Amino acid sequence: MKRSLAGRIWPNATAIVLAIGFVFPVYWMFNTAFKPTGDIISDVPVWFPLHGTLQHFATAVGAPDFWTLAGNSVLVTAVAVGLSLLIALCGAFALTRMRFKGRKATLLVFMVAQMAPWEVMVISIYMIVRDADMLNSLVPLTAFYMLMVLPFTLLTLRGYVAAVPKELEESAMVDGCSRRQAFTKVVFPLLAPGLMATSLFGFITAWNEFPLVLVLNKEPAKGTLPLWLSQFQSQFGDDWGATMAAASIFAVPILVLFLFLQRKAVGGLTSGAVKG
Amino acid sequence: MKRGLIAATAVAGMLMSVAACGSSDGSGNGADGFKGQKLTVWVMSGSNPSQWTAQVSKEFHQKTGATVDFKVQQWDGIQQKLTTALSEDSPPDVVEIGNTQTAAYAKAGALLDLGDLKKQIGADWSDSFNKAAMADGKQYALPWYAGNRVVMYNKKIWAKAGIKDLPKTRTELFKAFDTIKKKTDAEPLYLPGQNWYFFDGLTIGTGADLVKKSGGKWVSNLADPKVAKAMDIYKTYQSFSDAPKNKDEATPQQAEVFAKGKTGAIIAMGYEAATAVKANPDIKNDIGFFTIPGETADKPEGVFLGGSNFAVAGGSTKQDLAKEFLKVALSKKNDAQMVKEVGWSPKSPDLASATKGNPAAEAAAPAAAKSGGTTPLIPEWAAVENVPNPIKNYMTAVLSGKTADDAAKAVEPEINKRLAQK
Amino acid sequence: MAVQLDDAVDKRAPRIGKGGAPPSGRATGTRRTRTGRATPYLLLLPALLATAVFLGWPMVRNILLSFQTLNMKELIQHLTVWNGTGNFGEILGGEEFWRVTLRTLVFTAVNVTLIMTLGVLIGLLLARLGKKMRLALSVALVLAWAMPVIAATTVFQWLFDSRYGVVNWVLDQLGWHSMAHYDWVGTQLSTFFVITLLIVWQSLPFVALNLYAATTTIPKELYEAARMDGAGTWKVFTTVTFPFLKPFFLATTFLEVIWVFKAFPQIFAINKGGPDRLTETLPIYAFTEGVGNLHFGMGAAISLLTIAVLLAVTAYYLRLTLKQEEDEL
Repeated sequence: MKRSLAGRIWPNATAIVLAIGFVFPVYWMFNTAFKPTGDIISDVPVWFPLHGTLQHFATAVGAPDFWTLAGNSVLVTAVAVGLSLLIALCGAFALTRMRFKGRKATLLVFMVAQMAPWEVMVISIYMIVRDADMLNSLVPLTAFYMLMVLPFTLLTLRGYVAAVPKELEESAMVDGCSRRQAFTKVVFPLLAPGLMATSLFGFITAWNEFPLVLVLNKEPAKGTLPLWLSQFQSQFGDDWGATMAAASIFAVPILVLFLFLQRKAVGGLTSGAVKG
Repeated sequence: MKRGLIAATAVAGMLMSVAACGSSDGSGNGADGFKGQKLTVWVMSGSNPSQWTAQVSKEFHQKTGATVDFKVQQWDGIQQKLTTALSEDSPPDVVEIGNTQTAAYAKAGALLDLGDLKKQIGADWSDSFNKAAMADGKQYALPWYAGNRVVMYNKKIWAKAGIKDLPKTRTELFKAFDTIKKKTDAEPLYLPGQNWYFFDGLTIGTGADLVKKSGGKWVSNLADPKVAKAMDIYKTYQSFSDAPKNKDEATPQQAEVFAKGKTGAIIAMGYEAATAVKANPDIKNDIGFFTIPGETADKPEGVFLGGSNFAVAGGSTKQDLAKEFLKVALSKKNDAQMVKEVGWSPKSPDLASATKGNPAAEAAAPAAAKSGGTTPLIPEWAAVENVPNPIKNYMTAVLSGKTADDAAKAVEPEINKRLAQK
Repeated sequence: MAVQLDDAVDKRAPRIGKGGAPPSGRATGTRRTRTGRATPYLLLLPALLATAVFLGWPMVRNILLSFQTLNMKELIQHLTVWNGTGNFGEILGGEEFWRVTLRTLVFTAVNVTLIMTLGVLIGLLLARLGKKMRLALSVALVLAWAMPVIAATTVFQWLFDSRYGVVNWVLDQLGWHSMAHYDWVGTQLSTFFVITLLIVWQSLPFVALNLYAATTTIPKELYEAARMDGAGTWKVFTTVTFPFLKPFFLATTFLEVIWVFKAFPQIFAINKGGPDRLTETLPIYAFTEGVGNLHFGMGAAISLLTIAVLLAVTAYYLRLTLKQEEDEL
């Protein structure tokens, strides 16, 4: 099964082109962020930040309330994703491993829930939160973010639960474990990679949300990072350097999280596959 | 119940303010009552210059014992944010609202009537400024600042073309453009086809009304000969430019085009000079300004006065304090500071001296005083300007060869539809 | 993030004994008590309760709003003004809605087709690459995938900036001089081009990486058998890979349809649905009418119609899935 030279070259050549294509926008963001303004607004693109500067980062971080907003973002995202994983795991377990009346209807509910038009529902959500006197609080925000990711999380976890061989659970129960023990001791560890992989989607969604936090939390100290990110493009002309620096700061936590979790995720998937 | 509460506080506020008005000055006896309170004021990003802010905060504190908390708002999503905020139990006390937006908010019942305050502090404000703070004959806001367009020109290019005197009439201006075209390789004027606020100024100049009442409803008046006349003037201006006919002045930023040094002039706001200098610092010393000349030398071209008003939220619980704030913020001294620091047009004749040393403001002032105006001041108007603005389509159509009449007929249904929206 | 793979697993499951319902009955049947029967409901309770409160309630509110006139005035003064089916009548009576619906369907079809086709090709390419190259490409994909949407749209705006954007510069250098200052968001088609590029760029990694992971689950013997029969690459794909991963394709397509159909920040940030509202898809249309023009009742009505369209589009998959569930249990 020897391949010709051309046959070996083209996949690699394609891969290189693709890799560049996928990385370039990310690279350009960092590149722009580090360049002095004169090099950004330039008729000939400056490909490398040779005269690197941290001035744009200083502008971005120096914006009012940056650290408070960053803290809020981390808190809201982490809690929303954590809660949704917990709730979804329970639900996914029931939907995958148990027979009961209303099972299909429940499944349908979550499939349709994925289609919710959150951007437009902002106003009804706003009116509910306003009338409940809960504006400018991180609690409703977290709750709604949790729900934005819950349907996807649940449906995805269902697959992971199904992938854990039932025999393992059963043999644990034969060995005298209760159903709950069988779950925590046997099933849960096998699910860990799946949980991590699923959480990625939640992190991205909650981290990015803008329309809801805009109207719910008007107190500057109760906002999240997307509000901060929007301020560098204004009516009076865009500050691309600061925008890109802000976008870089905004993207880095998610990039790191992905690189870290993705290995586990794909690893988990493939190891599950080998067992099959 | 909440609605009742808001109405009640609004009424109470009005009663109290009337009482305060009756007792001489009002500021003396109020001082103690305000001590330690905090007034929330929403201003747009880029609106409040630093010295003005410091000065107003200090004076306000000295006068009332209360503090003012300026909350700077970002433009992104401001309409949602402001509308929802005004519906809350504790809205911001004072808000900055764009002058063309004021009527809509006033009509929605969101703002306090400030008629008494206007009489006290704004007797000499020029009408073109104040009109945009009124709705249905009532004073729902007070004008804060406004600016208008001027001709921003490249001194080097004009010198190269041998033009010595700045044009005093429209005919002279066109002649100057012509000279530049013949004697230099520069583009005499960069004017894209959809600089709508410049066109609005021209309609003010010809005395046109963009809307008219018909059967108790507002409808488009775009087919009016006076509008066509304004469009004709625009067309002549545009004939000196290679700029795209289907773009507005922000795409690309016209100041950045100007910064390249190959453009004789642009019709611009004074602050756009900074954009040009940022793009090309070398251009700084070449930039000059003059008033857009009108048909005759004694009256400058009509201009759109774009700016902002201050309004007091109807649901604010600190309406008296809010009025005290407005007295300070809009005092002669602080208004002069706005003119000096940013280059806005002077709101009253005696502020003209404050423009000294700011060439853009000096050039803007005569037009602001004599021939400034706005878009139609009816609440329904805001919808017409929403993207895609049908008037911009009208402009492109005429510039591309359609007759003004045909072009007007093509977009009037859309304008009427928008004016009819409730 | 591997729904598709899970379905692949589902399909494999019978062979490892899951599909045979008896074991579960045997293991738990003897101990089944009343609490046992309540268990699934108890486990689902938090998820259902949360959905009812944080999605169901706003949704009911949204439905109520769709029968009201709710503009700036009504919102600020807390007024409730019913107008019957007036909003729906106005939307369905005008041609705007139908035009936007058609545009949304075409937009979704084009994007999903591109994403699925290219995603599969890249996934298969990953399987063919050597270890190092595969890692390099995977990392590149993960970086693109992980870019927060807001950051990504901002970068794309900058890349396609008419004056200082690097794309125009490259095109100009390649000899296409008319593109030197091309305004990408000036026409409907070019704006859609940028939006599509952005969405495809963001979505490909998900499909490609998961497809690659899924192909590793296909038993090697199947491939070898096909090759022995002399099947070429394409034949192997159609006879082995595709049938084996059919659930994967269905599930992924379903997800991509939902995501592309609902794509909001990408389209909105690039040009707010312009020029001349010509790149508005249904979610943007609902937002512009409702939140942008402060006709919240109208926006709510459009959003409901949007869901109806989306349900119609995905009905096939929903029915299929539910039917499968029936077969399995």
